[in-house]
Amino acid sequence: MKLFENKYDFDYPWEQVTAANWQKYPNEVATHVVGVDVLRRELKDNGNVLVSERLLTVQQKVPRWIMMVLGGSNISYVREVSTVNLKEKSLKLRSCNLNYVNLLRVYEMVDYIPHPEDPYNKTLFSQQAQITAGGKFGKLVNTLEDWSIQRFCDNAAKGKAGFDSVLRSLWEEHWDNNSLVIKVNETVDDLGLQMSKRVTEMNAAAEAVIKESLRKFTILTDYQDLFTEAFDDAKNPH
Amino acid sequence: MGNSMSASFAPECTELKKTYDSCFNEWYSEKFLKGKSVENECTKEWYAYIGCVNENLKKKSIQSALDDARKEAPFESGGELVNANANANANKK
Repeated sequence: MKLFENKYDFDYPWEQVTAANWQKYPNEVATHVVGVDVLRRELKDNGNVLVSERLLTVQQKVPRWIMMVLGGSNISYVREVSTVNLKEKSLKLRSCNLNYVNLLRVYEMVDYIPHPEDPYNKTLFSQQAQITAGGKFGKLVNTLEDWSIQRFCDNAAKGKAGFDSVLRSLWEEHWDNNSLVIKVNETVDDLGLQMSKRVTEMNAAAEAVIKESLRKFTILTDYQDLFTEAFDDAKNPH
Repeated sequence: MGNSMSASFAPECTELKKTYDSCFNEWYSEKFLKGKSVENECTKEWYAYIGCVNENLKKKSIQSALDDARKEAPFESGGELVNANANANANKK
């Protein structure tokens, strides 16, 4: 099992970050999340705690060798349970992949709390993931865990950039005058030229990420001998 | 930019989802965050949407994976793993 850890600051108040959490997808950067559904939602503790279970639909670029091993589609699902606690001022997200759990299991823990140094204006984001590859594929395991950590880092960076852009558009148009935060669509239209400039910047950022992951993909293909060997081992256990 | 509200995993539920999301997002910001709510108010929209979701979960055969995940990290415990090992590792800094 490998652990991945990460911390970021968001320059927005905690309340607003939690509201934006529901509207995080779609965004220009994290395009791999193509669907978000709520499966269960309960209000507890006299209206102070909101627990939600969501299903995220993910369309991932998966290296060809993984597709070969899994023989499947590139659509996968993630289950997330989130808890907003108004008294504690915390938002906790606990997520796990639903597909191929025997091969690779990623359990992610994300916490959003008011930033200890500037609790009214900033939010501290901390992220932790446990990545476990199944033993079945022997030699593949370490490579798979490393690849996943890499992919996780890529997506964590994308997630931050994407969430920032959502927060910005919500903040600038709506939160300030206390109106509905739900009209992201109109916000984007209203922002017009200003927004398209921002989208260009976002695209440049996304492009850099893609280039980076392409480079990693190339490194991965260099391991092909190892994968073929491991795959043969799995087919013909000793 | 297109539509800024996310789609459902099942295309036929997307419209119901957007109606529910609109109601929820307003409730969340205007009532929940302000501590003014003791109940989730979007029930009509919710039942229309969740009916569609549950029907399609079965069709897409992710129900069993979902059931396993629910056992491992129950809704009632906020999605924390029930496995003590995993928790011990999570608490390691």
